[in-house]
Amino acid sequence: MKFKTQKIAYWFFASALLLLVLQIVYGFIMGFAHMGYDGLHNIIPFNTARAVHTNLLLVWLLLGFMGSAYFIIPEEAERELAWPKLAYVQLISFLLVGVTAVVCYHMNIWEGRKFLEIPRPLDWLVVGNILLFLANIGWTIWNGKRFTTTSIVLYMGLLCAALLYLPGMIDFDNQTLDSFYRWWVVHLWVEGVWELIMGGILCFLLIKLTGVDREVVEKWLYIIVGLTFISGILGTGHHYYYIGVPHYWLIVGGIFSALEPLAFLGMAMYALAMAKKGGRKHPNKTALTWTLGCAIMAFVGAGFLGIAHTIPQVNMWTHGTLVTAMHGHLAFWGAYAMIVFAMIAYAMPLMTGRKLWDTNASTYGFWLSNIGMVAMTGAFAVAGISQVVLERRTGIDFMEVQKEIEPHFFGLVLAAGLFTIGILLFILNFIRYGRPTDEALNSDPADT
Amino acid sequence: MLSKSQARAFFLGGTGVFSLAFLGLTYDSHKQVPKQTNEDKLTEQVIRGKKIWEKNNCMGCHTLFGEGAYYAPELTKVVERRGKDWMRLFLKDPQAMFPGERKMTDYDFSDEQIEDVIAFFEWCGNVDLNGFPAKPPLGRVAAPIVTTGKSDVPQPELFKTICIACHSVGGVGGIVGPALDQVGTRIEREPMKDWIRDPQKIKPGTPMPQIPMTPEQLDEIVDYLQGLSNNQ
Ligand code: HEC
Ligand code: HEC
Ligand code: HEM
Ligand code: HEM
Ligand SMILES: [Fe+2]
Repeated sequence: MKFKTQKIAYWFFASALLLLVLQIVYGFIMGFAHMGYDGLHNIIPFNTARAVHTNLLLVWLLLGFMGSAYFIIPEEAERELAWPKLAYVQLISFLLVGVTAVVCYHMNIWEGRKFLEIPRPLDWLVVGNILLFLANIGWTIWNGKRFTTTSIVLYMGLLCAALLYLPGMIDFDNQTLDSFYRWWVVHLWVEGVWELIMGGILCFLLIKLTGVDREVVEKWLYIIVGLTFISGILGTGHHYYYIGVPHYWLIVGGIFSALEPLAFLGMAMYALAMAKKGGRKHPNKTALTWTLGCAIMAFVGAGFLGIAHTIPQVNMWTHGTLVTAMHGHLAFWGAYAMIVFAMIAYAMPLMTGRKLWDTNASTYGFWLSNIGMVAMTGAFAVAGISQVVLERRTGIDFMEVQKEIEPHFFGLVLAAGLFTIGILLFILNFIRYGRPTDEALNSDPADT
Repeated sequence: MLSKSQARAFFLGGTGVFSLAFLGLTYDSHKQVPKQTNEDKLTEQVIRGKKIWEKNNCMGCHTLFGEGAYYAPELTKVVERRGKDWMRLFLKDPQAMFPGERKMTDYDFSDEQIEDVIAFFEWCGNVDLNGFPAKPPLGRVAAPIVTTGKSDVPQPELFKTICIACHSVGGVGGIVGPALDQVGTRIEREPMKDWIRDPQKIKPGTPMPQIPMTPEQLDEIVDYLQGLSNNQ
């Protein structure tokens, strides 16, 4: 850590991990409901649990991105953050909005559109909040000592994410158009601008952890985010196959979304190549493991499991089944959860001055959470494929099929248990680091 | 080897070109959507139904156009699949229809709200979705026994509106339950009455719902079903 204000990241990371735990609790509620144990139905019906689960996911990932930006931007711009107090105000207000939304979901107050459930007045607060955040880091970059590609890409990603939130707030009476613009948020986030954020953070970590020359790392960053947009923008079409828009989307979406895995493949190869090439051996191996793990799992979850159902002829059968949930879990985990974890694993020793990177908790935290998540993906896959064959291909009634696949949700809950142990170990290690301190200034072991 | 400024040009150029292409296709889609979705049939009632759908986050359990959650049935073609009368009965009290099964929230809808919701689903069911949802190609190949469908007594109203959503007679009707043409040869009057009165009691967990009816209606239906097998 080189600047005092980088410590702010700690509070963002701590809040993110707290919300992750809450997200997992609601995940279990749904897992049990799918198994036939819906005893909580009267207090927390499935749609409440689901909205809380997915919205907390988005909120904690955004908190993780913001924390990462507050850590990275001062270091890249070589100056203190412009308005540190504002960052705390922004954190607290963001958390309040999140908590309010969660409470609303328990009272049947929402907008009722998947992933964008939060009530309209809160949408505006989110927008205002993100503007504060963007102003803060924007001003820091603008007045910084240097402009780096890493910080520009990261900033552009965050800015575009905020802009793309707006189309999701247009109201339509036509369900087809509603759905059309919902994807401008959901798809263009995860398969577009969020990849810029991920790429920016990945690039920062690779420069720091492998010591490869910045020019080389950043050049490849441009190529990769270029591939992302070339494939990902028209790739939005893979959500337009069957919602009531013209047939040409089957062709456009099919071709371009099939190219999307290239960006993820590029990301994985790039991370591995840089790690191999890097001369400097940074002692924080856990951070490097999370970084490389992220690049690989993002390819598996988003790229491989994405292409598995993105061809229109396949998607006709898998569209809106548990196969989608299988892909959603590993993709979000690999690409976005793991990049936040990598950033936390890298930043904690620097903010606290303690070197807890090769403890058992941190090693097992990595392996158990990843093995658990892969096993969860497997359980969703078996349930999803059975559903496709029985319900979609054979024509057996939906509810009959759901009974048939209940046992796979037992498997899901077991795997989720393993995953959760891994997460708790990571959090245990996080707690043992203690609070960030100014004594940790200039303590990067790689610099000495 | 590519320089950094060339790499940046690749990124900016690619993004620019494909964003424009995307906006162009969006514009064209906007022009075609009114026809493809029958916007002329998008009445006030349909819009009210859509508001109910959103206000209660039905998408948090169900899918519509294949979008939503994977906990409850896909609803795009629900009107075609179940029929309006069945839906009226179901939406009035969703848990009574399938006791002991995975629960749907009971919303206490008024009759008017139910009509709004049904109108919304009917509109959705008529949108041209490029072939989704496809008919199951492997189907329940053992096609229902097709018979004359004649009985000693005419088909009761309740049977015509509710039971036919799941059962077929004379090759007409749903495929959720077995065809009933010859059920009278297998099930006697009294056990049949017990079954229809409360299927869950006879066979817990069966997908056949309990359908509220008066004893007279029950007699009518059993007469009808028993009468079917006399006419094969
Ligand atoms: C808590 C989850 C949940 C919510 C929320 C929910 N449903 Fe359902 N719904 C179900 C389940 C489960 C079934 C299947 C019941 C059965 O077959 O046992 C169902 C069945 C249906 C059916 C009959 C489908 C068929 O093919 O049999 C209709 C129509 C329906 N729901 C409409 C709605 C509407 C409209 C809303 C919102 C106002 C809604 N549902 C909200 C869980 C839910
Ligand atoms: C939601 C769909 C559904 C509706 C509505 C429905 N049934 Fe059924 N019914 C079934 C299913 C599924 C079975 C098979 C049950 C089993 O084996 O567990 C069944 C079984 C039966 C049987 C026994 C058939 C046999 O060959 O064993 C009879 C008789 C019957 N239903 C009559 C009725 C009548 C009369 C009505 C209308 C009042 C009706 N059903 C409405 C789904 C339905
Ligand atoms: C990190 C990147 C990604 C994340 C986080 C992600 C996540 C998700 C999620 C959550 C959904 C469900 C959306 C909904 O129904 O509302 C989804 C759907 C889908 N994704 Fe991805 N995805 C990613 C990348 C990809 C890629 C690269 C591809 C293609 C190669 C892809 C193909 C698909 C397809 C085809 C669907 C639609 C499934 C359906 O029809 O139900 N995804 N994705
Ligand atoms: C560890 C315990 C977890 C359990 C038991 C669990 C379970 C579930 C279940 C049952 C669903 C709903 C599927 C449906 O609609 O029927 C769901 C949705 C979802 N979960 Fe989880 N989950 C867990 C953790 C996570 C994590 C860590 C992530 C992100 C990294 C995640 C991301 C998602 C997403 C994106 C969806 C929406 C998927 C879609 O719409 O296709 N979950 N989860
Ligand atoms: Fe997508």
